[in-house]
Amino acid sequence: MTLWILFALMTGLTALTVLMPLRRGSASASDAGAADEAVYKAQLEEVDRDLQRGLVDAAQAEAARTEIARRLLAAHKQNQRNGKSAATGAVKWAALLPALLLPAGALGLYLWIGSPDLPDQPLEARLQSNPEGQPVEVLVARVERHLAANPQDGQGWEVLAPVYMSLGRPQDAAQAYANAIRLNGASEPRQSSLGEALVVAAEGLVTADARAAFERAVQLDPAAAKPRFFLALALGQEGKRDEAISAWKRLLDGANPNEIWVPAAQQELAQLEGRLPPSLQPPRGPAAADVEAAAAMSEAERGEMIRSMVDGLKTRLEADGGSVEEWVRLIRAQIVMGDKDAAKASLAKARETFAAEPPALDVLRQAETDNGLGS
Amino acid sequence: MIVETGHFALVLAFVLALIQSVVPVWGAVTSDRRLMETAAPVANALFVLVALSFAVLTWAYLASDFSVVNVWENSHSAKPLIFKISGVWGNHEGSMLLWVLILVLFGSLVALFSGNVPAPLRATVLGVQGWITAAFLLFILATSNPFERIPQAPIEGNDLNPLLQDIGLAIHPPLLYLGYVGFSITFAFAVAALILGRIDAAWARWVRPWALLAWVFLTLGIAMGSYWAYYELGWGGWWFWDPVENASFMPWLAGTALLHSAIVMEKREALKVWTVLLAIFTFSLSLLGTFLVRSGVLTSVHAFAVDPERGLFILVILCIFIGGSFTLYAWRAPLLKQGGLFAPISREGALVLNNLFLTAATVSVLVGTLYPLALEAVTGEKISVGAPFFNLTFGPLMIPLLLAIPFGPLLAWKRGDLLAATQRLYAAFGVALLAALAVFWAWGMRQVLAPIGVGLAVWIMAGAVAELLSRTRITEIGLSRGLSRLVGLPRSAFGTMLGHFGVGVTLLGIVMATAFQTELVRTVRPGDTFDMAGYQLTFTGIAPRQGPNYTEQVGHLVVRQGGAEIAAMDPSKRIYPARGMPTTEASILTFGFSQLYVSLGETRDDGAVDIRAYFKPMITLIWLGTLVMSIGGIISITDRRLRVGAPKPARAKTAGLSPAE
Repeated sequence: MTLWILFALMTGLTALTVLMPLRRGSASASDAGAADEAVYKAQLEEVDRDLQRGLVDAAQAEAARTEIARRLLAAHKQNQRNGKSAATGAVKWAALLPALLLPAGALGLYLWIGSPDLPDQPLEARLQSNPEGQPVEVLVARVERHLAANPQDGQGWEVLAPVYMSLGRPQDAAQAYANAIRLNGASEPRQSSLGEALVVAAEGLVTADARAAFERAVQLDPAAAKPRFFLALALGQEGKRDEAISAWKRLLDGANPNEIWVPAAQQELAQLEGRLPPSLQPPRGPAAADVEAAAAMSEAERGEMIRSMVDGLKTRLEADGGSVEEWVRLIRAQIVMGDKDAAKASLAKARETFAAEPPALDVLRQAETDNGLGS
Repeated sequence: MIVETGHFALVLAFVLALIQSVVPVWGAVTSDRRLMETAAPVANALFVLVALSFAVLTWAYLASDFSVVNVWENSHSAKPLIFKISGVWGNHEGSMLLWVLILVLFGSLVALFSGNVPAPLRATVLGVQGWITAAFLLFILATSNPFERIPQAPIEGNDLNPLLQDIGLAIHPPLLYLGYVGFSITFAFAVAALILGRIDAAWARWVRPWALLAWVFLTLGIAMGSYWAYYELGWGGWWFWDPVENASFMPWLAGTALLHSAIVMEKREALKVWTVLLAIFTFSLSLLGTFLVRSGVLTSVHAFAVDPERGLFILVILCIFIGGSFTLYAWRAPLLKQGGLFAPISREGALVLNNLFLTAATVSVLVGTLYPLALEAVTGEKISVGAPFFNLTFGPLMIPLLLAIPFGPLLAWKRGDLLAATQRLYAAFGVALLAALAVFWAWGMRQVLAPIGVGLAVWIMAGAVAELLSRTRITEIGLSRGLSRLVGLPRSAFGTMLGHFGVGVTLLGIVMATAFQTELVRTVRPGDTFDMAGYQLTFTGIAPRQGPNYTEQVGHLVVRQGGAEIAAMDPSKRIYPARGMPTTEASILTFGFSQLYVSLGETRDDGAVDIRAYFKPMITLIWLGTLVMSIGGIISITDRRLRVGAPKPARAKTAGLSPAE
């Protein structure tokens, strides 16, 4: 509503600039002919001044005066011949123009091309506002800003990395996982996810870097399925058929058939053993499928996905207590999402949960200081 | 709400401009004073509305409001403040808005400072300004609206073209537009004179300062653009006869002619009809320049977006205004009274000569710029018309003009004495000859044209000084009285002197930098030393550096002269990740008027890097000269005396007076 009042005011003021002179009807300004005479008279004075300053000599000044006087006479005669101008009835019509055209034209045109419903969206305000209902890009930008200011925040990178994956930014995801590993130490899931991000970035190809990541993951947890899946895939891609077949067999051996990766692995194996024509079923790992799923998601769904990740953690911790490290992770996540109140609430909950464990309380106190939650 | 207010202000301005186009002109034609009186307040309101709109767009850039398409396309939250501001006009939509802002600013200035202009003239002039404003606002709203929105605002923008993230380019477009658009005032005065069928005595008094003001800005704008190309593009060239450059150079040439013919008109009431034609011609060239640059007909850093619809739109505006005004001229010009008479050898005659050569030169540039376009449009054949064409056409036209510059101001009005003028130039000629001989003696036959060029440049400079001194009659009346006369001279005399002197300075820079530059392209490794015009440059290595919105590889060179370390140079290559675009940042060292110029080329794997180094003697004179010219123009504008050209009285009745036109 304010917008329309403002527009009405602007239109009104603008219309006034046309209507005021029409109402006044002054006759102050000089006529064209009279203005000519004034200029010539001023020129005559100028010649006198030039003569005084010695810029022209007497003969030149006289010649100039003669010329100007001739023009002055002509202008004077012309002026007498012209009758005085009279106001015409056109004023009424002219007054109608701004009175009608301005509001109707401006408003009509604006309604056609303008976007009166769209509010301003300055970046700072968007980053400061309540994270609820914000599109996922805004949330990511918030975390990115936070990390640009605190690049040593390993938890932040850890939260951000899977979001990058789901947004279809595997290169950024790989970088984020690498940072998380550098700051939080290596673990099987981090190394595997790093490798996966690199594979997706290389459009399904298991590159040397990705392989190194998966190999480190297997060292950390020889039983983990994901790195072994990709290492088997790598062998296939390198053309080491027999090694690949035995790797797939070892992976599928004793695996729970309900795991989502099992059909893909079986298919790979079938293909390598020549039971499927290669052209019919191109190899595709779960990574490619994930990306497709993420790409198919709408923006709102993606935002929901991040929030549900954090909410899921919260619900689980509130239900079964969890470890103090998990609580700290939740608080961190809430901080980087910009939801300070939720972080404070989580901190209070964690204190209740670990009220009987002084070492855990120490960890929480540390987290409070680190995250600037202390009063 | 802020953004939409700006949008509404722009729409309102368009409708108001339509009213401005009709009401005051109607009043002038029907002699209705009240209708005429709307012109000034409406012109001011137009300025306020467009300024509001522009301020809002600037706010959107500063606040990184990416819900505005234009901001999203051309800004980035990490961009330094100055480039957030200059980004407003570093794109098609914003630059057109700036164009209109300057247009209405000039309209408002005319409204504020034209109390003594006859009412019909004033109303018609502002009405014609209203036509131009309405046409361009329609163009903006229909095809290039900077206030288009995105409902789902992205979180980061696409950044400004890195080549445009530069101080020079922050200033260049506004200056150039002030020049282009300034000529719209002289155009409006010319069209008003044609509509009203009379040229008032106040007409010339009004046209000359506006022409001068526009010319000063255009001069500075072109110089700025040229200096930018010199240091930013990394080739060390300062003028390429590129169609985009020509687009700004043509109005400058025509504007220079207009400036001179307006002097004749103000002082002598001669050349009236010709001045009106020149005013139309100059603004037409400004419009043509806008069309060439903005339509995407030419590919260059200026063609922000290639959009045939826009090109067509500007072409239609172009045809209406140019075609319309020339038709009006053909129809109404015979009504205008012819001016006074003068002999062929006289100040007026000299200025006609000036106009003749400048117009011919403009046409030669026009042909060189448009012919390739026309040929491509008709036959599809691509040819490029470059320096050789212009050296053969533009050059020969300039030489007689430059030779004649010192004579002009020395000739008397109405009937001059060439012999007397020549006598007063003996000293200047002597100095020029000495300079030419000195160059010949120092460099010999290696550069045949250099001594001639230097001699010509010194001739113009010495001639300008000689003219000023001869006005003081210092040789006749002694030093002290001469000096007091010098102080008493009108400021316009100093303006003329500086304007002409500046031409000489620029010419000297052009000749020296072209004839005697040293160039070196080689691959260097850290520790390598090479010699450049008496300076020893040692390359010490290359290192990465992080900027606010770019990363760069900075090379480091130590400059020694005679063993002593005198300076360091850090040329760099930047990458702007938002657009993935590289730029070259040359390092320039200035010694006196000369410059040492180093830019980086390809980096090799083994730490070696290609380096391009130049020594350009006296090159800064090219731009200092334009600065001198502009200062001359400004001094002349501040002299608000009425200009009266006192004719030389006829001793005996001399035969052979020719009509003015």
